[in-house]
Amino acid sequence: MRKALTLLVSGLVAALLGVLALGGLAAAATASAAEARDSAKSAREAAQKAGKPDPFTPEIYGTR
Amino acid sequence: MSVPTGPTRRERWLLYAVAAVVAAVVLAPLAAPGYALLYDMVFVPRQPLTWQLVAPADSLPRAVPMDALVSLVTQVVPGWLVQRLALGGAVVFAAVGAGYLVPTERRATRVVAAVGYAWTPYLAERLLIGQWGLLLAYAALPWIVRAALRVRAGQPGALPRLVLAAAPAAITPTGGLLAFAAVALLVAGRERRRSTALAMGALLALNAPWLVAALVTGAGGTSDPAGVQAFAARAENWAGPLAALAGTGGIWSAQATPGSRAGALVPLATLVLLLVAAVGAGPLRRRLPAGVALRLGVLAAGGLLLAALGVLPGTADALRWAVLHVPGAGLLRDGQKFLAGYALPLVLCAALGVERLVSRWDRDLALLVLAGAALLPVAVMPDLAFGGAGRLRPVSYPADWRLVAAVTAEEPGVVLALPLSAYRAYPWNPDRMVLDPLPRYLSAEVLTDDTLRVGDVTVAGENPRIRELRRLLRDGRPVAGTGVRWVVVQRGSTEAVDPAWLAGLEKVHEGPALTLYRDPNAPPVWRRSPPGPGRWAAVGAFTGALLVVAFAALSVLRRRPTPW
Repeated sequence: MRKALTLLVSGLVAALLGVLALGGLAAAATASAAEARDSAKSAREAAQKAGKPDPFTPEIYGTR
Repeated sequence: MSVPTGPTRRERWLLYAVAAVVAAVVLAPLAAPGYALLYDMVFVPRQPLTWQLVAPADSLPRAVPMDALVSLVTQVVPGWLVQRLALGGAVVFAAVGAGYLVPTERRATRVVAAVGYAWTPYLAERLLIGQWGLLLAYAALPWIVRAALRVRAGQPGALPRLVLAAAPAAITPTGGLLAFAAVALLVAGRERRRSTALAMGALLALNAPWLVAALVTGAGGTSDPAGVQAFAARAENWAGPLAALAGTGGIWSAQATPGSRAGALVPLATLVLLLVAAVGAGPLRRRLPAGVALRLGVLAAGGLLLAALGVLPGTADALRWAVLHVPGAGLLRDGQKFLAGYALPLVLCAALGVERLVSRWDRDLALLVLAGAALLPVAVMPDLAFGGAGRLRPVSYPADWRLVAAVTAEEPGVVLALPLSAYRAYPWNPDRMVLDPLPRYLSAEVLTDDTLRVGDVTVAGENPRIRELRRLLRDGRPVAGTGVRWVVVQRGSTEAVDPAWLAGLEKVHEGPALTLYRDPNAPPVWRRSPPGPGRWAAVGAFTGALLVVAFAALSVLRRRPTPW
């Protein structure tokens, strides 16, 4: 009984990790150029709101 | 003294297969043609071999001898292929190296170590900031440790293998120091004086190209202390910078950090990792030769401490002082680079920790948990996949670049890249920043700005010639007459180029990406001093390092074929 329960819990955790990993991989794989543009746009807007320089300004190596 | 048993033939195949899958998943966008240009990662079709790449006259040798090697290799192999081989090799050899090194009899534990080491925040962040040379050092580290264990055990032919394992690491100063530290810690011993001296001598020879270049450059050895704050470890989520470092992340740049690292549960995953690693520390100590685990612990602690220097109270001030006054201390300002020395022991301990936890369980159940452990790094940071969810995407250089390279090659002279900026954002490489590729694309000497801006902080560069030119341009004076023969104005920059700077120059080419100007009165060569003995010393050091590697390779080949 105890062994079956351990197997069940471990199986569920492994399955959850598998789903998370595969889901994440699928999301990363389908990231399109448009999404990359949107993500850059959000970063710009967030920087603007925080009063920080645009991280995609050519003169800027990056922001912390 | 014994060396832990290596993997069986079947396990080796399995490890290479797993590593190939990981590399394919991480670098999938590189299947498309072109060059992935991202932050410090610059590859060009054929990189000319110039003095500036072997021994920079006016800047610190941050990419020595990496650039010289790329120049040599791209004379026969196209740059796009070199980029794929370097990145693919880094991921594959990191995974296989960790899988080989972990002292275990279980196949699944080797896979956990392989995936764990190839899917770390460290690898992701250094990939996304484009520091592929450092990734080679990261990949070489398990092989260096393995070879060092053989040298300790006095195995014949171990030393040349150690040299070959350390060679990829030594293509950058940071990687060279990492390799040197690992070898010094693991090989040194009273009972092995001869092999210790030979190993340290070989490592010194591998590090000599950048050491000699640093001694002969006119840039001095110190740098702007503002860099300490700018490049200090960064908090990736609510848990702060030290927690980020404990999980092998914490790079200074928000843009080089995978989005998933900001997750609220990430510190919890780091805590689990540390607890499991603590469980695995005992088996690692018992299975490695006496004293080796302790030395690996010192390597890990040293790496973690160097990474944390910029954020710990007291040490940040000391580092700022050192960067300003001690030549070479600038290497420590982006200390997170040294976390590679911590990542490897952590992954080995974690893999053995999982194995220990499931050691008394039913075999099928244990396998299930080990499979879950191998998936854990991917589940926690899935956005490393596919080139950091699309951040690594190849592009092609516009035709303008080839034309400008051909014109400037016909008439020798110094080239100035305008607007003054170390990094560029090109319309043809959208939403990505990249170090100006012009110095690597043109065969002429190219002057680019070396000032770094990190948010609101400006970190001054070291090149005195650029400093001089910047002062002139700030005063609105023209480039003509300064000794610069060519001026390349790069489009797509927000910063304007003052027409006054271009007065007296003739326009040679105007394209959609680049405009080329020429000063007809400029001398063919503009140098403060001609290449002196210092530069020849740098060439000698580079040649010496190549000879050491060639000698080691011949020595290994002379022996019977081995698993690697």
